[in-house]
Amino acid sequence: MSNQDVTIQHGEEIKNSTGVSNKKLLMWAFLGSDVMFFGTFIGTFMAYRNKSLNGPYPSDTLDIPITSISTFVLLMSSLGVVLALHYLKESKMVLAKLWLILVIIMGMIFMGFQVYEFSHFAHIGMTPQANLFGSTFFTLTSLHGAHVSLGIIWLIFLLYNEYKGNLTSENAIDLELAGLYWHFVDIVWIIIFALLYLITAGDGVPPGGLPWIAGQ
Amino acid sequence: MSILKDLFHYNGNGWWRIPKTSESKTNPQYEHPFGKFAGMSKDFWTFITSGKGHASPAYYWAIAIILGLITMIEVWWFDVDELRYLLVPAMLFFSLVKFILVVAFFMHLKFDNKLYSTIFVTCMVIGVFIFSLFLVLSAFHGLGN
Repeated sequence: MSNQDVTIQHGEEIKNSTGVSNKKLLMWAFLGSDVMFFGTFIGTFMAYRNKSLNGPYPSDTLDIPITSISTFVLLMSSLGVVLALHYLKESKMVLAKLWLILVIIMGMIFMGFQVYEFSHFAHIGMTPQANLFGSTFFTLTSLHGAHVSLGIIWLIFLLYNEYKGNLTSENAIDLELAGLYWHFVDIVWIIIFALLYLITAGDGVPPGGLPWIAGQ
Repeated sequence: MSILKDLFHYNGNGWWRIPKTSESKTNPQYEHPFGKFAGMSKDFWTFITSGKGHASPAYYWAIAIILGLITMIEVWWFDVDELRYLLVPAMLFFSLVKFILVVAFFMHLKFDNKLYSTIFVTCMVIGVFIFSLFLVLSAFHGLGN
């Protein structure tokens, strides 16, 4: 194949010999590397699960109802991104902007929940220095939070471009890439919610561990 | 002879003679094993994909509702003490289903070029391997003790 080859994929014209969008290929490669990145941190968390000999323990700290709401908000933000992209590709700019704004708001709500959760944990004495659970929990959830924050900044930047008229159906790939990143952040949270919260929340004092009293 | 005639013929026509139909005649609607249900499913699929085999807003909403419902089931399961012994496999299963739904449909991996799937799945396998390695190290070498 020559470099003059033109392929049409999902309405996007691709002019290269691979037949796939270079930007999208790079994004998938990045997401693949991020899977391994999060894989190590989730693996570390699970390996150190129930190994803290002093409190606070997961059963003393984790609040499932609140985290369920934030999980639901993040899931719905993923819906918002695909709808924004769909309407952008169809040049329905008002709907595209509306959904993009909603996604940014939902991302901020999720971060608000995380800030509330972290401050509550710090208040009851669960900090990264407290024990193994605190160290691994804060490392993983903070890294995820950093990803969400970066995603919000990216989406705000795209929204600004959309208002300026620089983001149209012609270059919808830019929003598609941000969308892929946002969905990835969502799937990482799906795993974190199941492993760090739902499975771990029942863990109390392990054998040989010291009982913990709030405010100790 | 009369018995044979009765067995193989009816009113002068052979019992086993398959009636010929005109080729130009269209098949009756819903004439297949699942009858009307399969036809309705096909109609629904055409509706949610705008008839293009690609996702439409209705399709995305359907996926989002499924994701929301699975999350509700997860939280319900967590709250039921009688089901606590199955918590770990159930949560792993539900999170896997949600993961696949988001990756395949929201991230378009199902409809997109196979090269993207290959890259992502390869990294996923390595990621799961690293994850499993930590757990094995933890189990056999007392990591963290």
